[in-house]
Amino acid sequence: MCGDRYMLEVRDVTKHFGGLCAVNEVSFSVKEGAVVGLIGPNGAGKTTLLNLICGIYKPDAGTIRFAEKDITGMPSNRICRLGVSRTYQIPQPFYAMTTLTGVAVSVIHGKKRPHMSLSDAILEASYYLEFVGLFSKRDTLARELTIYELRMLELARALATTPKLLLLDEVMAGLNPAESSKALEMIWNAQEQFDITILWIEHIMKIIMNAAQQIVVLHYGQKIAEGTPQEIANDAKVIEAYLGGQYAQSGRP
Amino acid sequence: MSSTLQSILVYTFIWGSIYLLISLGFSLICGVLRIFHLGYGVIFVIAAYGTWMFMEDVGLGFIPSVLLMLLVQIGIAVVVFYRGVFQRYLEEEEILLTLSVLISIALMHLANYLYPVTAGVSIPSTIIDAMLKIGAVRISYQMLLAAFVGIVVTFVFVLMFLKTRIGLIVRAISQNLEAATLMGANVTKMYYLAIILSVIPPTICMLMIAPFWGVDPFMGSPLLMTAMLIAILGGLGNLKGSIVASYMIGFIHATVSFLYVSRFMGLAALIITLIVLMIKRGGLFAGETLW
Amino acid sequence: MVRLEFRRDRILLRWGEQKYEWVIEPRYWRNPAIGVFLLAIIPLFILPYPNILTMLTSANLYAAIAIPLGLQMIGTARVNFGPQLYLGLGGYTSALLNLHLGWSPIPTLGATILVCAAVALLLSPTTFIAKGLYFSLITLILPLTFLDVTFLYGDIFRGEVGLVGMSPLFNFGKVKWNYLGYFYFSLLLMLLYLFVSDKISRSRFGVTLAAINENEDVARMMGVDVTKYKVFYYVFPSILTGIVAWFIVHTFRTFAGITYLPLDFMIKILIIVIIGGRAFVYGAVPGAYLIAVVEDSLRGLGPINYFVFPLVLIGAILILPRGEGLWGLYHKRHHRDYFPTLHVRR
Repeated sequence: MCGDRYMLEVRDVTKHFGGLCAVNEVSFSVKEGAVVGLIGPNGAGKTTLLNLICGIYKPDAGTIRFAEKDITGMPSNRICRLGVSRTYQIPQPFYAMTTLTGVAVSVIHGKKRPHMSLSDAILEASYYLEFVGLFSKRDTLARELTIYELRMLELARALATTPKLLLLDEVMAGLNPAESSKALEMIWNAQEQFDITILWIEHIMKIIMNAAQQIVVLHYGQKIAEGTPQEIANDAKVIEAYLGGQYAQSGRP
Repeated sequence: MSSTLQSILVYTFIWGSIYLLISLGFSLICGVLRIFHLGYGVIFVIAAYGTWMFMEDVGLGFIPSVLLMLLVQIGIAVVVFYRGVFQRYLEEEEILLTLSVLISIALMHLANYLYPVTAGVSIPSTIIDAMLKIGAVRISYQMLLAAFVGIVVTFVFVLMFLKTRIGLIVRAISQNLEAATLMGANVTKMYYLAIILSVIPPTICMLMIAPFWGVDPFMGSPLLMTAMLIAILGGLGNLKGSIVASYMIGFIHATVSFLYVSRFMGLAALIITLIVLMIKRGGLFAGETLW
Repeated sequence: MVRLEFRRDRILLRWGEQKYEWVIEPRYWRNPAIGVFLLAIIPLFILPYPNILTMLTSANLYAAIAIPLGLQMIGTARVNFGPQLYLGLGGYTSALLNLHLGWSPIPTLGATILVCAAVALLLSPTTFIAKGLYFSLITLILPLTFLDVTFLYGDIFRGEVGLVGMSPLFNFGKVKWNYLGYFYFSLLLMLLYLFVSDKISRSRFGVTLAAINENEDVARMMGVDVTKYKVFYYVFPSILTGIVAWFIVHTFRTFAGITYLPLDFMIKILIIVIIGGRAFVYGAVPGAYLIAVVEDSLRGLGPINYFVFPLVLIGAILILPRGEGLWGLYHKRHHRDYFPTLHVRR
């Protein structure tokens, strides 16, 4: 299922905010078609790393390569055109626009579509809405949606730009277990159907341990561990970061 | 020292101090309420014409007129501007700004209609009617006094904001409104206080500078432009920035006037402000806080 | 080469690789057609009163300035407090070229467009570099500074009196025919601007406009080249405003900066956008007509009208429903239509 080439290569990326070092020489790679989890305690710099990959911040040092193309410091819209898209930890929909028009913006601008009219874009947007199950809410303004629907809208918007790499930022936060499993299924469907690579920040261990093939752990901006979920669960450094030193010795989480 | 240099220094000091008075109120509202009070120019007009009206039409003496005028000022600021405009339209900012400008235009035209420029409005607030000579520069005592009053008023304000409890609360509100409300600050009372405080420096300024600056129903607009330019240059809502920017703009005006032609003062100030804005975004002391 | 195809509900124009689609909705044509027809036959009733005709011409011109402003405010996600800068620029360009170099109206149109485009391009970085507040303040100050400059170089710009005696656009010999011509030409200009604005709002660019106004950073993440769009939506309406100034110069044949550059005029245009309803591009037309009628009728009061006019405008703002304005009284907004919020403190 995983291809051979690397979809995303992050090498020694560093970012300072004033005196605080948010990301400190983090390096890892994501293979094509893989699902990679990015975990770590709060404040570890996960969202900052995502922002660096997306082009919202420029790294102070290091390079980021996407599909063997150097995207360090490129503006966000060009990175999106190359095939990267993301969801947001706190959903940021276009509050005064309907879900349909919100996704239509992604459809029109996700890749170069010079001849697409608005009606064509809306047709394609409705397909994405139907895929995430929001078709019945297509004419509802985004400010009237529940949290689950907002997250599905984020997903639909991210998928509508036809990405090759999808960056998910805590999709499951705020969802109850039923909604969580529905969302997980949606993400699986998306990965199969659209053949995308996923880099997933998550706090809910049960989900990420099951979903990901490879996990990267950040702590205070540095990568402290990388490996399969099994290896991570038993890694002493990870246990110490999450639970504290006294659990690390026993070797059990 | 050449006389031009002396003139530049003296007038930088004088104009800078007077501009302090002009921009203090505007920066205060900007920093605390986070609104642009585009009707700020009308405060100067009410100060001048209100005093004149109470003195001429009602026949009161100078001091009672000033006190009454101050009451009218505070009344208009609180009732018309704050309750009528700011509170109601906080969400629709373009309506808020348009209404402020409209009210200010209406009042200025009213002043123009009741007391056109030919009516010879003047405020008898000259304290010492004489000229003095500093080095090679001749200036009137009134100008010097206006400058000193400007410095004193600014000093009082800064002292109030740094040392008193109320000043601390106002600074907290200007930095982070939600955190301040969580700490129990009575935001509405503080807003009223800020509005009332912001009316005082322009009124004092008008009274002091009327003898040599001249009184004109539409003088509010150029003064508002100066206050805005100083606020932009110094960092919106920042008192420290306003102080520094006032002297900078005073310096630019003085330099352009004495080294070149005085008509280019405003243009030069605008160009320098734009350049500073391009180099340091947000002005000299950018930061969404009062001090 | 160019092929026209007629489908059941749309007309397709295929030009080489590109496809332009125009959806025909006959049931939505009726009201605009009636409105345009009414506007077009008004002069027949008021021929004996040429000053009313001038007032309506001014109304058309006000609307023609307000329509691009609405487009600009949503497209750049900033509130522009000084659209009349380009009015002054365009007007003085046309007038000076006409008077001193003897250019006829068509070349001055080209020159106006070039000058406005150049200055707008020069100033366009303010739309994406500075925060919204600084942009609004700078646009507020710029026209007044330009007015100062015209007074500084008073021998060229003629200060308060302004420039007079420019060549007219057309001359039918009889004065009444001229007035009629000016009215229809201004009506045509306004309708053209209305048409262009409407087409832009209803196309895929309209959705992009809404996205930029809502949340620039998210829009950028979805592939929208925000900088390019902001520059376009700043320069294009500025050019349109300059064209209105060109029209004013060659119609009224006098141009003084003092009429168009100070705060009083800016307020009139902003009021039209607010009263007309910022959610509707058509709203500028009833707003402009209202303002022109009120202004003219108050003129009879004498010098106190300068005080009463702002009061009337304040009353209008307070009475009309927020954001919907005059047009909202006629056309109930559909729940799913985009209702823009204009942020100044962005």
